[in-house]
Amino acid sequence: MIFNSLTFVVFFAIVLAMYNLPLPWTGKKMLLMVASYIFYAAWNPPFVILLWISTVVDWWAAQAMVKSERPWTRRAWMIASVVVNLGMLGFFKYGQFLLDNFVALAAAVGIQYQPAQYEIVLPVGISFYTFATLSYTLDVYLRRSKPAKHFLDYALFVTFFPHLVAGPIMRPTELVPQFAQERRATMHQMLFGMALLTLGLFQKVVLADGFLSPVVEAVYDAREGTPGFLDAWVATLAFAGQIFCDFAGYSTSAIGVALALGFAMPDNFRFPYAAIGFSDFWRRWHITLSSWLRDYLYIPLGGNRHGPARTYGALMGTMLLGGLWHGASWTFVAWGGLHGLYLSAERWLRSRFAGFKPTPAMLVSFGMLTFLLVNLTWVFFRAKTFGGAATMLTAMVGAAAKPVPMIALLPMIYALAIVTVIVGTHWFMRNKTLEIVIERTPALLLGIVWAMMAVAVIAEQGKGSAFIYFQF
Amino acid sequence: MPTRDIPKQPWGRLALGVLAAMVLGTVALEVNARRLQLHAGDLDNSEVDWAVERSRSAGAAVAIVGDSRILFDTDLDRFEVLTGIRPVQLAIHGTSALTLLEDTARNPEFKGLLIVGLADTMFFQPFDGYGGYIHTRETYESPARQWSAGLDHMLQRRLAFLDSSHRLSVVAAREDLNFRQGVEGPFDDIWKLAEVGERRQTWMWPRIITDGRLRAHSRWAWKGFKEKFPYTPELIAKGQARAVAAVATIRARGGDVAFVRPPSDIHLRVNEEAQVPKAKGWDALLRNTHSVGVHNDDLPPHLRRLIMPEWSHLSRRCATVFTDAYVRRLAVLTPRLKLRADAPAPLSRDDCVGPGGKPL
Repeated sequence: MIFNSLTFVVFFAIVLAMYNLPLPWTGKKMLLMVASYIFYAAWNPPFVILLWISTVVDWWAAQAMVKSERPWTRRAWMIASVVVNLGMLGFFKYGQFLLDNFVALAAAVGIQYQPAQYEIVLPVGISFYTFATLSYTLDVYLRRSKPAKHFLDYALFVTFFPHLVAGPIMRPTELVPQFAQERRATMHQMLFGMALLTLGLFQKVVLADGFLSPVVEAVYDAREGTPGFLDAWVATLAFAGQIFCDFAGYSTSAIGVALALGFAMPDNFRFPYAAIGFSDFWRRWHITLSSWLRDYLYIPLGGNRHGPARTYGALMGTMLLGGLWHGASWTFVAWGGLHGLYLSAERWLRSRFAGFKPTPAMLVSFGMLTFLLVNLTWVFFRAKTFGGAATMLTAMVGAAAKPVPMIALLPMIYALAIVTVIVGTHWFMRNKTLEIVIERTPALLLGIVWAMMAVAVIAEQGKGSAFIYFQF
Repeated sequence: MPTRDIPKQPWGRLALGVLAAMVLGTVALEVNARRLQLHAGDLDNSEVDWAVERSRSAGAAVAIVGDSRILFDTDLDRFEVLTGIRPVQLAIHGTSALTLLEDTARNPEFKGLLIVGLADTMFFQPFDGYGGYIHTRETYESPARQWSAGLDHMLQRRLAFLDSSHRLSVVAAREDLNFRQGVEGPFDDIWKLAEVGERRQTWMWPRIITDGRLRAHSRWAWKGFKEKFPYTPELIAKGQARAVAAVATIRARGGDVAFVRPPSDIHLRVNEEAQVPKAKGWDALLRNTHSVGVHNDDLPPHLRRLIMPEWSHLSRRCATVFTDAYVRRLAVLTPRLKLRADAPAPLSRDDCVGPGGKPL
């Protein structure tokens, strides 16, 4: 089920109504859990079993770890949890990728191998909920947190529908305590939640799907012809806008939905296109993923505590795997690898020029350079092949042979205007929060903006495609 | 544990204001839509609707596949009145009939009569076309998608503005009148040609008949049906081979296949014939697949001059006349289709063309 669908509107209305009935707290939690399973099953009912396996295995693993004080027993249960979760992820998400690469490798050494053809369906959200449950067992193993007292609270943490299929990736310490006592949204919380949901749907349905996606597809999915400098850049900038509006739109919607139920979820984006440098970018983009990778991959790989070489290795390893998390394709690995290179280069420059104090104008320039370099990485994220990425990059430096125009003028203007507003808004907001800005906005203006977004969603007819991050 | 501050604002009054704006906005959109001659009950064909019909084709006596011509030019009600059978409509606009023929061949549960409606150039094109989504049909069969489609249709039966060709972004893009030279942009697209009823019954949007500007734009958008790539003998031979294999598969499990070639105006026909001559396309197809077929050229002269407002698809009433004609012809050619004993009398051109050759 996706937020931008009539099914979700009906589903959420029913859940909200039932949740606000005078039921005991345990009953409300059961309601949320059942609703969450229905939310997930509405995509593909049999795959609820995977969700259940991940939930049950990690619950038992954490319980067993706590009950046993023997280090090897605790480690064995931790490994079991990792194997089950990463095994499921590996099979469903990377099975075909691994097989294809094995066949290619075999062919490269002269072995012709034709495996049986079978289609592996990627369960929606598997990358997200396996990371959520893994963080539970790993935190218990590392003694960062205690296991949940009640299975219901833990199961609801895993399946809580606002964040189930595309994050924000929450830690058990962030969500489980919220289930300890009855949570009920005040009227203001509910209405602010609806405002956030409106903003999220506007970003996704109107901006990402309506105005930006066609411009991206006109170039990146063109059946024939090579783009020129202008078209390549406009399409890539449009994709930068699209991926932000799509994913941030989902996260904002999720936060709004959770808030309307009385629960708080963390920000997942903090105006990333105003980032100055890549460390700053990753503190603003998909924050919950980058912090997960930092805590469970980068730091265990050594972090920055074992000298520069190990630090750069940990950075690159983390970002390469972070890229692979996004999809079973070498282009995603390249995307992650580029970010790893950027982060490493930035770290080296900081150590080399430690005393350097940039002026405000320099900071803005660095910010623009960051945005430019991020756009180059988006080429790998969006292009389906390295050949496609090469074509785009060649065009972006003005070296395309026989380019043809691909984007009509008005759609191009709309896309550039939207991206300019997005980047401008990010710079305006970079040191503020959405809540502060909303509080300082005159009520009439706020109402007009909210109303315009809502009517725009209706005029765009509210439907759209699935969120891009659903495929991760 | 995260917390979320709630900005101090009069949220109650704001929400009421937004709700009022949404109601007013919806009313304005609906008024505007009806002014543009959009109609409630136009269900706006979707991938989910196709997937639903596809699953209905299991065990169906008759199914229809093809491109938009057979989609527009078949009146399912007339078909049912004549034969007692309501065919499952699986044709998709902008899609090669061969793609859909092969999809039916892959469906082991279909053992009925498959009517393949084709436009020659689309049949032999080297890509699927718009309907490529049939290869990921499972994604449109999820409960959530089906429920959403059902809810959409509930609203579409009452609201005219819920038409995907008149979404905000589409209308905004259409303001581009090919300002940038060399780009095939929104102006080159077909804007709106169809209205869609229940079970994918599709017919020409009435405004195409009454609005000269829209009609002229649609005719222009066809670009004469001239493709940029050549229809080489190898390309046509490949298409023929694929068709032979698909038809054989369907027949092997007890089904059968018949072909129908709906009409196209001379402005398009001359280019279609130049790219895929009838002898190399249609005639060879029937011969190679050992199939029966009804070509528009086979119909009596008075039925060959039905009205196609934008040169490629019949008007709604002429579609009924054409359906009547081709169903009667198929009933003669194949034992898989029989006319009912109480079938009504045949229709004629006069049933859809008025005085002065104007469409009824």
